[in-house]
Amino acid sequence: MTGLLDAPRLSPAAGRHVRLGVTRAAVLRRRGTTVAVLAAVLVLAAWRAFGAPGGVINTGGAALLDDLLARALSPRLDAEFLLLVARATATTLAFAAVGAAGALLVGLLGGLALSDAAWSRRPPLPVRLVRTALRGVLVAARSVHELVWALLLVGVLGLDPLVAVLALVVPFGAQTAQVYAETFDGVRGGAHAALRRAGAPRTAAILYALVPGASPLLLSYAFYRFECSLRSTVLLGLVGVGGLGQELVVSLQSRNWEEVWTLVLALLVLSALVEAWSARVRREAGSLGDARPVVAAADAEGVGALAAGRADSAPPTRTWTRWSVLVGLPGLAVAWWWTGASLEGLTDSLTWQLTQELVADLLRPALPDGGGSVLLLAVLDTLAIAVLAMAVAVLLTVVLAPWAAAPTASAAGPRDRSGRTRDIVRAAPRAAARLVSRTVLLGLRSVPPTIWAILALFVFFPGVVPGAVALGLYAAGILGRLVAEAWESVDRRPRDALVRAGVAPWRAGLLAVVPPSVQQLTTYTMYRFEVCVRDTAVVGVVGAAGLGRLLGEGLAAFRYPVVATALLASFAVSVAVELTSRRVRRGLSGNLRPRARPFRRAPARTTRFSV
Amino acid sequence: MSGLRPVVDGTGGSALCRSAPVFELRGVTVVRGTHRALDEVDLVVGPGERVALLGPSGAGKSTLLALLSGATDPDTGAVLLFGEDLARLAHRRRRELTARVGALTQDLDLVEHVRVLHNVAAGRLGRIGLGPALLRLLTARADDEVREVLARVDLPWALHARTQHLSGGERQRVAVARLLLQRAEAVLADEPASSLDPTTARDVLELLRGSATTGTTVVSLHQPSAARHTFTRVVGLRRGRVALDLPPGRLTDDLLDDLYARA
Repeated sequence: MTGLLDAPRLSPAAGRHVRLGVTRAAVLRRRGTTVAVLAAVLVLAAWRAFGAPGGVINTGGAALLDDLLARALSPRLDAEFLLLVARATATTLAFAAVGAAGALLVGLLGGLALSDAAWSRRPPLPVRLVRTALRGVLVAARSVHELVWALLLVGVLGLDPLVAVLALVVPFGAQTAQVYAETFDGVRGGAHAALRRAGAPRTAAILYALVPGASPLLLSYAFYRFECSLRSTVLLGLVGVGGLGQELVVSLQSRNWEEVWTLVLALLVLSALVEAWSARVRREAGSLGDARPVVAAADAEGVGALAAGRADSAPPTRTWTRWSVLVGLPGLAVAWWWTGASLEGLTDSLTWQLTQELVADLLRPALPDGGGSVLLLAVLDTLAIAVLAMAVAVLLTVVLAPWAAAPTASAAGPRDRSGRTRDIVRAAPRAAARLVSRTVLLGLRSVPPTIWAILALFVFFPGVVPGAVALGLYAAGILGRLVAEAWESVDRRPRDALVRAGVAPWRAGLLAVVPPSVQQLTTYTMYRFEVCVRDTAVVGVVGAAGLGRLLGEGLAAFRYPVVATALLASFAVSVAVELTSRRVRRGLSGNLRPRARPFRRAPARTTRFSV
Repeated sequence: MSGLRPVVDGTGGSALCRSAPVFELRGVTVVRGTHRALDEVDLVVGPGERVALLGPSGAGKSTLLALLSGATDPDTGAVLLFGEDLARLAHRRRRELTARVGALTQDLDLVEHVRVLHNVAAGRLGRIGLGPALLRLLTARADDEVREVLARVDLPWALHARTQHLSGGERQRVAVARLLLQRAEAVLADEPASSLDPTTARDVLELLRGSATTGTTVVSLHQPSAARHTFTRVVGLRRGRVALDLPPGRLTDDLLDDLYARA
């Protein structure tokens, strides 16, 4: 230690903050590429959809749709049927609750196992190997749609309520585990590591620091999962899981339009109530948490759900949360009893034997009739369905979501300029538009895509178009809500500043509000596109087109080797889409930085004596 | 500026180092990105020593404290706690040693969403079994030990308050209370006085000193003036190297000016 301290040395910080200048040419190149790629994808999809010989629209079926619409105002409301609807509603709610609770349990355990934060240091090699394997299993489990899980499980367990529960728990649990692992890793501050260094044993440190730190986000996501679980339970009605979904399919296929409307009404009310409840709890969780928009969550709606729960200035209360827990836990026991599920089927020797046969079949995949070209065309159809469905969804979102977003304080204008009554009169049309657009969006997402597909097949010949329309309507309901919530949180202060500076309000909006809104829309569209690719299985099973159709036909004919091929293909497609979308999103967010290494989560933080 | 030679006269702490030192750094280098946060640093801290760590921002004070607490590992060189090289120890033994060192970081490392009493009680998780820990978490029951340390940091009223509702200074005192419950032999603190008025700062420094059972403390300071009172040794860091190592009595304004001078 004898060297001169002020010996000339190149300051290491000098090079660090230099930003690369962005040229106009680079901007134009990027925009050009985006437009070209988008156009090419849409043209290809449209070519797959409308290029088929024999036309698209089934003119004979339009009359059915006409019939259905004509009965909209005369739903069946006699006591006998209402009782049936009430029981079906209870069944749907029970399955959804049990499914969500199971997913939560799997998610908590899996999330702790997968998160780096739960380990105070790099885990030993065997643990890491097991974790890598577990991660792979979870990715595979969530890439298979609930409906396909249900169809596979029916082959093993028969028509058992447990099928529905497992079909929900397996993919949702896998997804939840992944999100929870990221949530645990995203817990701010070094409390957990500090406790571990201070001598706390592993479990105690997790319970004292990690779980409380993550709890608002965990809770928020759990309730979001409950909403998803409700939608999926309705969808599983297609394979005979009782409840509103099954009744809806039965009534639709026997053309009892009056019953269809009653059931749709019940579905709307149930979804609205569950979503409102969930929104309350999530808002409380948001005000409790540190109120950052979370981008850690692996799936789109998770992000939306968590960001939507962002804190406002209201003091944090936990009334809804507390009551939800108090009522929820005994409620779960009742729900389990009501579903009639029991775990006995799992230990049955027949189950074991059938599982072995199924796995053996799945392990030797075979090409469908017609060979590789059929498979390739199915992959193309799947992508075409997803692309066109997103086009439909974005179109509907752009039309509906601006009305569904709550007007912010500044948009309502200063209060003192006009009288209260005039305010109300002026706000009434806006409020009405909001109610209508929100109800439409609720309806679009509450009716499962299978039902939309059945309806679309009245009007279109089987193929890409009905699948795209059905999925597009359903996706619009979800995308519209997410985007509307995101738009509510767009910062309007820059616009107001421009208006005060003399810019015309619409121009100020164009300049200051539209760009961030478009970015939100693009981000959510990319996320939703990933989900949509997975959802194509659903409309395929009903008979639209694509890999889902191969799956459905293979499952119906018990040709599991073909099913295995279709599953592998859809897995490959969803992974490819996910990777592409991640790249695009990273490009959109403007910085193509490499992602942080998993074990140095916050490089800046480590220098601040905390890790 | 004239060349500042490291002023290391050896009287800083060696007199107290007859028994095994509490902390020891041997030729430690820590690389952050392209620069060296610490560059070949040697340092020995014996039991009972009260070291003030001085130096301009970015000199490596926080990194040095992170090394001593076991939160960071060096890229080269060795970190010894109570005479044992951390890098050579099994995970379990390493934790046994780090548990004997208490650390107060700038982030405080508190769990924001839970009540103060849980954050405080977390300090003794290393001493009590999992069963009692879980039971206390669920029943929110505070015992005399928790009440006593909260009284010592002058926050008896905050027992059942939610941590995130407290002010910055109050939250710091919660972290100190947790430290008190840990009953560590030596205590490290990263700029504990930076946002406090002089009187409160002195109180906190006294509390920290009292929270280490052997009285050994290493504290980084923003204000050099505080170093003259409570400490037995001043270590100055500059650009990742030890530039000063003196008893506080020998600390002159000229030395400080050189330490904090712009390059």
